[in-house]
Amino acid sequence: MTRRHRSAVVLGMAGTVTLLLAGCLGTGTGTTPVEEDAEGPLTVQSRLAGDSGDAVALQAVVDAFNAKGGGQVEINTVPNETFRDQLPSYLTASNPPDVLTLYGGSLTRELADEGLLLDLSDVWEGAEFSDGLRALSTDSSGNQVFIPTSYYWLGVYYKKSTWEAAGAEVPTTWEEFLTASEALQANGVVPIGIALGDAPWLASAWFDYLNLRVNGADFHIDVLAGDESFDDPRIEAVFEKWDDVLPYFDPEAPGIAFGQAATDLTQGRTGMFLAGSWLTFSLPPESLDEYDYFQFPIIDDSVPLAEEGPTDGFVGAANTDQPKLTKEFLAYLASAEAQQLMFEANPNDTLIPANPNVDVELGPDAIKGQAILESAVGGVTQFFNRDSSDALQATADQALTQYLAGAKSLSDILAEWQSEAERVRAG
Amino acid sequence: MTQIAPRAKTNRRRAFFTPPVVFALVLIPFTIEAVGVFYPAIQGILLSFVRWNGIGVAEPVGFDNYVRLFTNDIVLYGALGNTAIWLVLFGGISFAMGLAIALLLQADRRGVSVYRTAIFLPMVFSLVVTAVMWTAIFQPRGILNDFLNAVGLEDWTRIWLGDPDTALYAVIVAALWRQIGYVMVLFIAGLKAIDPTLHEAARVDGANVFQRFRYITMPQLRGVNLVIISLLVIDSLRSFDIIWAMTRGGPFGSSELLSTYMFSTAFTDRQLGYASAIAVVIFLLAVGVIISYLIRAFSETKED
Repeated sequence: MTRRHRSAVVLGMAGTVTLLLAGCLGTGTGTTPVEEDAEGPLTVQSRLAGDSGDAVALQAVVDAFNAKGGGQVEINTVPNETFRDQLPSYLTASNPPDVLTLYGGSLTRELADEGLLLDLSDVWEGAEFSDGLRALSTDSSGNQVFIPTSYYWLGVYYKKSTWEAAGAEVPTTWEEFLTASEALQANGVVPIGIALGDAPWLASAWFDYLNLRVNGADFHIDVLAGDESFDDPRIEAVFEKWDDVLPYFDPEAPGIAFGQAATDLTQGRTGMFLAGSWLTFSLPPESLDEYDYFQFPIIDDSVPLAEEGPTDGFVGAANTDQPKLTKEFLAYLASAEAQQLMFEANPNDTLIPANPNVDVELGPDAIKGQAILESAVGGVTQFFNRDSSDALQATADQALTQYLAGAKSLSDILAEWQSEAERVRAG
Repeated sequence: MTQIAPRAKTNRRRAFFTPPVVFALVLIPFTIEAVGVFYPAIQGILLSFVRWNGIGVAEPVGFDNYVRLFTNDIVLYGALGNTAIWLVLFGGISFAMGLAIALLLQADRRGVSVYRTAIFLPMVFSLVVTAVMWTAIFQPRGILNDFLNAVGLEDWTRIWLGDPDTALYAVIVAALWRQIGYVMVLFIAGLKAIDPTLHEAARVDGANVFQRFRYITMPQLRGVNLVIISLLVIDSLRSFDIIWAMTRGGPFGSSELLSTYMFSTAFTDRQLGYASAIAVVIFLLAVGVIISYLIRAFSETKED
């Protein structure tokens, strides 16, 4: 169940993978003859912003692949929102980009089930990833369609000095969490910051964690998949816990943009912020050691501990006219060598390489993140939208911002959420 | 006869011969229009009769999308209501304010051009820049709330864009700030075109300012009004960027317009058929409002 559980059979490095791949492709003559690749460079359609660490890492690994001389790869970067809106068009085009940045979860599976993603089972044959990552990368018919390159963690970020001034202790249990919030509030700090102005999906991090802590990962996944209902009494129990901390949420949150919320944390106006490791990018780079994060507190000891560990990686387009080179490149991205290059090119301590054989020294944040994810015996989830869909995310944004604003009664909100979710799933 | 007839024919042919460049001038724009506008528009209408997520195979569903639209969509009613509010407030206020400011600033006195420029200036900003600026003003600790606190109106402070009661109106204010100058310029152009002797004659006959406005300025502006009202209706119904940049239709749908609802249905919910049905409704509304106004306007002209 755990993602870090390493696969029993650990084959060699990228070379082995590539050899296996070459072997597979070479024996294709009897059945369906493998078409020759078209000429020209391979295109990677990337949603990673031009100056982000992830983009730098991708550039580094592409440069290394090109230097090998086997084939040329070009990166085509588009804005994240455009990428998301246009993704189906990219994949259904007659001449699609060959490789695309994507994340593990239901979207990848859905695209694969529509036959839009290249079957990468042969690339995976010699792969070194954990069983958890293998399951994440597998579509409904049992083929692997996704190459994970890195994953990250979520935690409650805080500024040490704000907590010291309030005499608040880093909590591990829900009671300690409430005590710390109380102490922060008594010291004139808004305990919990969140940016609902332009990032209402941040509320889903709270929903995810509270549901994981109260009901566990299996129920959480069932709810997101539509097998359980949002107006279930167990979901009401989640909001009962949320009621405990609701008074500590920033009352200005509905009008606060993400950048402002990060500033509020650095200026000590707010005490903490539940976020992914990407929050680090919004903190002042020269004083990162003034910040730390802790694991979301345990609410119920009897619930197997589950965590969120969103995984990023790459897919190939099924319609590519260069399947050989695409697989060769993706096999390279899967290798420890490539993932080490990517990790070293990205100067931020915000990622953990997906390949367990990468020989790098993780930063202190990543070491803690890895430990948190390894402690998740109850399972690792991706995030609300990655485990369901962007459409369901919109229903969550609606329901959770209503809850946080106290706009309606909980039962109304949950009933409406459920009916919206059904509408979205029905298409 | 036999000799004359061909000559006549050639003459006639010469007289009615259409040079190929005319065909080119008609056909090339028509082809571009057909490929770029008519074809996608027809596609859009056809899409409204299918259920399609943009990935898989489109499934024909007949009028199901429209049935759902008019029987079972609370969000749509909210968006319709907000679009009506937007049309009345955004269209109405920019018309009234644009006209009022144009009347004030039509005369060529010294310094007037400074005011005209100042009021027209917001127009040079893109809507998204306008949105960013006004979002800062409406911040919980933004200029507006700071001002209200400073003058002792603490009770009036709000999370303007985060409060379902104020979000829509806050965005309308931002949109108006930019639109009024535009409407003003159109009106000034219209006012300049009025023959000044009409006003002089009325003044000689003893008409006061209001009478001159009512019986000379307004009738003379009819043509300009027609253009401006059509523009405002179209601008209102297609308003999307500023609201998307400031609230994305939130909080919880309180500032949702038909346009933002259409967009999120298409690209967040991935229900392209249903979104197309919403687009068809927007199209019919725009065409309906404008055609009915045109008919009225022209029938009035005939009566004169």
